[in-house]
Amino acid sequence: MTTALQQAGDMRQPLGTPAALLMRGIGKSFDGKAALRDASFCLEWGEVHAIVGENGAGKSTLMNVAAGVYVADGGDQSIDGEAISLRSPLEAAAAGLGMVHQHFRLVESFTVAENVLLGFGRKAAVKTLTDAAAIVSAKSSEIGLPVDPHKLVANLSIAERQRAEIIKVMLLGARILVMDEPTAVLTDEEARTLLSFAQRLSRQGHAVVLITHKFREVAAFCDRVTIMRHGETVLEGARVANVTEAEVARLMVGDALTVAGRPLSRPGDVCLSVERLSARATAHGQSLNDLGFELHVGEILGIAGVGGNGQEELVACLLGLDRAGAGAIVLDGQDISTAKPDQRREAGLRVIPSDRFDSGLIRELSIADNLALTTVASGSFGGPFLLSRRAMREKAAEAIDAFDIRGATPERPASLLSGGNAQKVLLARELDHGLKVLIAHSPSRGLDMKAAEFVRSAIRRAVEAGAACLLISEDLQEVMSLSHRVAVMNRGRIAGCRQTGDVTPEWIGGLLAGHA
Amino acid sequence: MLDTAFLVRRQNPGFLLTSLSYVGGLLVGLTVSAVLLVHAGVPASALVDEFLIATFLTSDGLSQTATAALPLVLVGLASGVAMRVRFWNIGVEGQLWLGAIASTWVALNGSGPEVLRLPTMFVLAALAGAAWIAIPLFLKLKWGVNEVISTLLLGSVAFLLVQHLLFGVWRDPSNSFPVTATFPEASWFLVLGWGQLHAGIFLVAVIALSIWFVMEHSRVGFYADAVGFNAKAALATGLPVLSIAVGLVLLSGALSGVAGMMIVAGTEHRLNQSVGNGYLFSAIVIAYLARAKPLWVVVISFALGAVFTAGNVLKVFYSISEAMIVLMQGAVLMSILMAQFFSSYSLKRPKN
Repeated sequence: MTTALQQAGDMRQPLGTPAALLMRGIGKSFDGKAALRDASFCLEWGEVHAIVGENGAGKSTLMNVAAGVYVADGGDQSIDGEAISLRSPLEAAAAGLGMVHQHFRLVESFTVAENVLLGFGRKAAVKTLTDAAAIVSAKSSEIGLPVDPHKLVANLSIAERQRAEIIKVMLLGARILVMDEPTAVLTDEEARTLLSFAQRLSRQGHAVVLITHKFREVAAFCDRVTIMRHGETVLEGARVANVTEAEVARLMVGDALTVAGRPLSRPGDVCLSVERLSARATAHGQSLNDLGFELHVGEILGIAGVGGNGQEELVACLLGLDRAGAGAIVLDGQDISTAKPDQRREAGLRVIPSDRFDSGLIRELSIADNLALTTVASGSFGGPFLLSRRAMREKAAEAIDAFDIRGATPERPASLLSGGNAQKVLLARELDHGLKVLIAHSPSRGLDMKAAEFVRSAIRRAVEAGAACLLISEDLQEVMSLSHRVAVMNRGRIAGCRQTGDVTPEWIGGLLAGHA
Repeated sequence: MLDTAFLVRRQNPGFLLTSLSYVGGLLVGLTVSAVLLVHAGVPASALVDEFLIATFLTSDGLSQTATAALPLVLVGLASGVAMRVRFWNIGVEGQLWLGAIASTWVALNGSGPEVLRLPTMFVLAALAGAAWIAIPLFLKLKWGVNEVISTLLLGSVAFLLVQHLLFGVWRDPSNSFPVTATFPEASWFLVLGWGQLHAGIFLVAVIALSIWFVMEHSRVGFYADAVGFNAKAALATGLPVLSIAVGLVLLSGALSGVAGMMIVAGTEHRLNQSVGNGYLFSAIVIAYLARAKPLWVVVISFALGAVFTAGNVLKVFYSISEAMIVLMQGAVLMSILMAQFFSSYSLKRPKN
């Protein structure tokens, strides 16, 4: 089926003019893990081209190779028909390709004009702030994106910063404009303005690439679409008019739905229920809106979703780090929505955070200390006031044995552990006797296959032993393989929930992309 | 070429490397200090005399050093306990002034049984110091005001307050200098009969031991480290982050306040304009060199007390200025901190 579509794309050969950007057989690995395998991409002058795919599909990596941020391990690239190998973003800019990253590359304490001047470097013709401000104003009115060159970046809204970044990139000579998730941070209105700008730019002969996982949002403004999955191009340059949303969703998700391996336990009574949970967004975050779900004893409920849709905020609310929100959180019949983190732990809540050294482990402390963090309060290491380091060390030695934590002694600082072994320390602490509900947020992120499998089977065993697990993950394969039920999170709410057996690619692809 | 080399953080610097770089830094610092002194006119031959023999090997020098070390231990602990929870108390001097003011008030207006005079001075000095640091603590918790600035500036406010009192209501009319009258003897620490050394040493010993015990052998120190290194993880694992941080910061202020009392009741027996001078830098130097470990604070305070003693001798015999002593402390601190850099990082060059 894909081949028919691919042919539809491939048949549209460039007519005379060379492609704006042509990439063939691009490979790129990080620490031995392949992020791109034989990926290809072809961008024509005068078009808006969407690259879609799930998180980790390789979209941003491919474009970062195109923009000279990463150097590819292999493959060919040409800009406007000329084969080039880029070694830095400056060289890409010189060749006419500029990228607007998801996290803007602007100095917040500088004005827009100062940022542009900084981007030009020492050898450029523009040398004074007055000149820089003048060309910013000129470019701004030429392309129809209003920006005040004298305003501090720190005082600009997100949309204004994005406009400033686009103007900077274009002043540096970009005729090919690559934008990474440009609409993710914008309101619907701002997104429409931006997308019609992209279209206008392409009609003037430029080429625009939009990296996105929300195809529906951009479809109306794009000419062609390329779909990536697992570092490969699965659909190259099909006309948007020739593909349906369902096909895009299916190609994005691929065969992730076929894996099995969930716990053998059958879900029992409700042990965690969350109702009408709302929380205000923190800076650059996503608010939670009327979010609700129920989790049963012996069950893994997987929450799939693209990162940044409120997952961090949900974990913070459940854990009690953010208690400003509204709604009910009931654990085993006890309303814990106003309880402090330690009280929630006492009630049986445990967590594996997405960034283990941010809110799980403490780098500088020893492994024994890290393992004891949650239990010192109960007096298990020397009573209500004193602390017995020896008892802590003995307990740690047991845990190191039981969880096969390599390279660990009780006294070593946690920072010396590899990712997989640090995660085992966390598991050893969190999967204790008091565990009733485990919140596992991307528990295998950044781990190698073996460590990831260890983590998953530890969770599986804990659930089979009578705990419940809320598995929040951007890795669809992980969610599908472990969960009894799958819910999808989008824009701070649960967009849908089904038994794993009933999940279809169209359903999940649609919800992930925000169609519901 | 140096510009092609890069720094690599050592994963696990060993004990030997750490101690070597510490000792190395100390030696460099002392050498720099010696050069400065010689340059300022102290004969090189006198250095060993004044430093080693006069301060450590004579009875007078030793008792002076011990006396000078008492308030230093307290301010070092004050700086150290706050440092453990990553609160930079740069206002040690201000809290010390407040402690001195509170105990002076008790001493000058004291009524009631004389036995209670010193305990009252102690409690009020601690409370006054804690109250003075409570202001920047509140500002930080409520509005995120940087405590480095607020504690430092409140130090100057405290000094102005002292001047206001010394030039005003508390001025001793029989003295041409802006000082208070001498305290009645009920407000003096008992002199032990060995130089100037007074009974305050017992109080300091009890305080230092208690703090050592609490910070090293109770859950308070354990929590403090967790909060200091990663407050977010500490909160997420259910530790009482706020109470630990608030408690230790207030303790820091209280200790500085008691240091003020230690000076006025122990050696000066009155309040004057110079009792708090130089303690801020000393506190920072001690806490850094001791890495906020209470027992090391005591050791380093004695070493620094020796510098003060030697400094006094130098002042009298070679008219070396007060600033020179601060400069020497700074030289030793900077070189030890720089030496630590070498135990934390190694210098690598790219292969080709």
